[in-house]
Amino acid sequence: MISVSHLVKHYGSHVAVDDVSFRVEKGQIVGFLGPNGAGKSTTLRILSSFLGMTSGKVEICGHDIEESSLEARRSVGYMPEAVPLYPEMRVVEYLTFRAELKGVARSKRRGHVDDAMEKASVFDVANTLIGKLSKGYRQRVGLADALVANPPLLILDEPTAGLDPNQIRQVRELIAGLSGEHTVLLSTHILSEVEQSCDRVILIAKGKLLAEGKTADIRKMRRPTALDVTVRGDAQAAARVLRGIQGVAKVKEVAAKQPASASFQATWTKKLPDAEIEGTIEAAVSALVGAGLGVREVRPVGSSLEDVFAELTRGAPPDPAEREEPS
Amino acid sequence: MSGFWPIFKRELFAFFVTPIAWVQIFVFCLVQGMHFYLVIDHFASQPELAGDQTPLQAFFGNTVLLYIVLFLLVPPMTMRLFAEERRSGTIETLMSAPVSTPAVVLGKYLSALTVYAAMWLPTVAYLVILRRTGVVDWHAVGASYLGVVLVGAGYLSVGTLMSAITRTQFLALVGTAFVLLVLFILGVGEFVTPAGSTLHDICAHVSVWAQMNDFASGIVDSRRLVYDATLILLPLFVTTRVVDAWRWG
Repeated sequence: MISVSHLVKHYGSHVAVDDVSFRVEKGQIVGFLGPNGAGKSTTLRILSSFLGMTSGKVEICGHDIEESSLEARRSVGYMPEAVPLYPEMRVVEYLTFRAELKGVARSKRRGHVDDAMEKASVFDVANTLIGKLSKGYRQRVGLADALVANPPLLILDEPTAGLDPNQIRQVRELIAGLSGEHTVLLSTHILSEVEQSCDRVILIAKGKLLAEGKTADIRKMRRPTALDVTVRGDAQAAARVLRGIQGVAKVKEVAAKQPASASFQATWTKKLPDAEIEGTIEAAVSALVGAGLGVREVRPVGSSLEDVFAELTRGAPPDPAEREEPS
Repeated sequence: MSGFWPIFKRELFAFFVTPIAWVQIFVFCLVQGMHFYLVIDHFASQPELAGDQTPLQAFFGNTVLLYIVLFLLVPPMTMRLFAEERRSGTIETLMSAPVSTPAVVLGKYLSALTVYAAMWLPTVAYLVILRRTGVVDWHAVGASYLGVVLVGAGYLSVGTLMSAITRTQFLALVGTAFVLLVLFILGVGEFVTPAGSTLHDICAHVSVWAQMNDFASGIVDSRRLVYDATLILLPLFVTTRVVDAWRWG
């Protein structure tokens, strides 16, 4: 569906995307994950033919984006990050315009627009001026626009940014419903987002590709690092008990999450093998209960995206170019 | 020319759904009505002028009123075209759709030209009025309208380019007004530079004043047509290059 090889993009002297190669196969939902400023949006803008690349080769559904740009653009439904729309148009007018622009035949236009409004659930605002819509609806109109020509490939730049949790859930459900018919490439800087909705993940930071693989593989990299515990009873006794558990490096008291209780964060030692973490949690809970404390909440804490990135950048074999002495 | 029609239609829609086009047409009709009234009043009070020129000739040429209207109305017609899309970011959805750059530029430009032509449409009523009281030279009328459309088309083309190379509508407005003013002043230079000098020739060539006097008398000079075609095509060509260049920004 998408084949990117040795993609490079310079903005003046700044290198935004540095030799990135990856493939996306048909029917997959792929997360394009990276911290802010990693080059996600730039890459997606190149894939959608909005920006030109400095060097490299990109094929969308078998069409080279430089040589057969119109065919490549016809097979993509792209939603930019800011979801730009024309405020003076009504939703149905806008989608009809977009359908015509994307070459949907006149006889099929009405059906395509209705389908897109149905899928993105914007039917109830079909005749509302876009300028008067809330952020959540605008986002969904953007999705309807990406869907309106029924393209095989959807490229969504931060589709859930700025939405409330309820709307995020709706958008996720919508995207999940698209798999099978469509291939989806979506960018995000939230790790849990990818874990919930994507089959595969492409990790990118500072313009470079860090890792690519199944979501489960990436999840493994997200090692549990600590345990949040809330107990009722003697706080000092609880801290002592936790410190006594094998595998706990340090215990820090944090602001109490509930009244008449104390909360701690116990960090695992680096040496503790992943396989023993669950056993250690059990040991910690039974020790706390044994000491006569009321255990109210126990929650494992995973490493953050930043930690995963730090892990990956540290673990990656050094670039041969970097090993050479700078001349 | 993939995408021309939808873009053309959407731009026309944007003109007429926002008050811009209506305010423009209203102001235009008001000013041109006053202009026409002044010309007719002038001719009615001095019948001896009638042998020299016709009221229509005076309406389309000879007076400065025509250029004031163009100068005031053309820049706001084109300032939105690209600057607004770039400000709001809609240029991203537009250019990632399967559209060719010439189709985008022409779709936007021709929509402005259509509104411009629509603006002139009510002035046909003046012909009907004059026809009731005297003889109308239809050839001169045809030439006059051709001149008006060509001059406007050139100005709109400059405005389209300005909208593409500036980031805000206001800068596009100022830039367009500035270029139109320079062209007009150069044209006035025809009357103040000594005849036979190179500067005089240049001024005479770009003089929209002399052009409208010719066209209003029914003279369609191919040199004028070449000049107009240049003023239309060159900025449009540069605009397509500018729009293409955004991909490398």
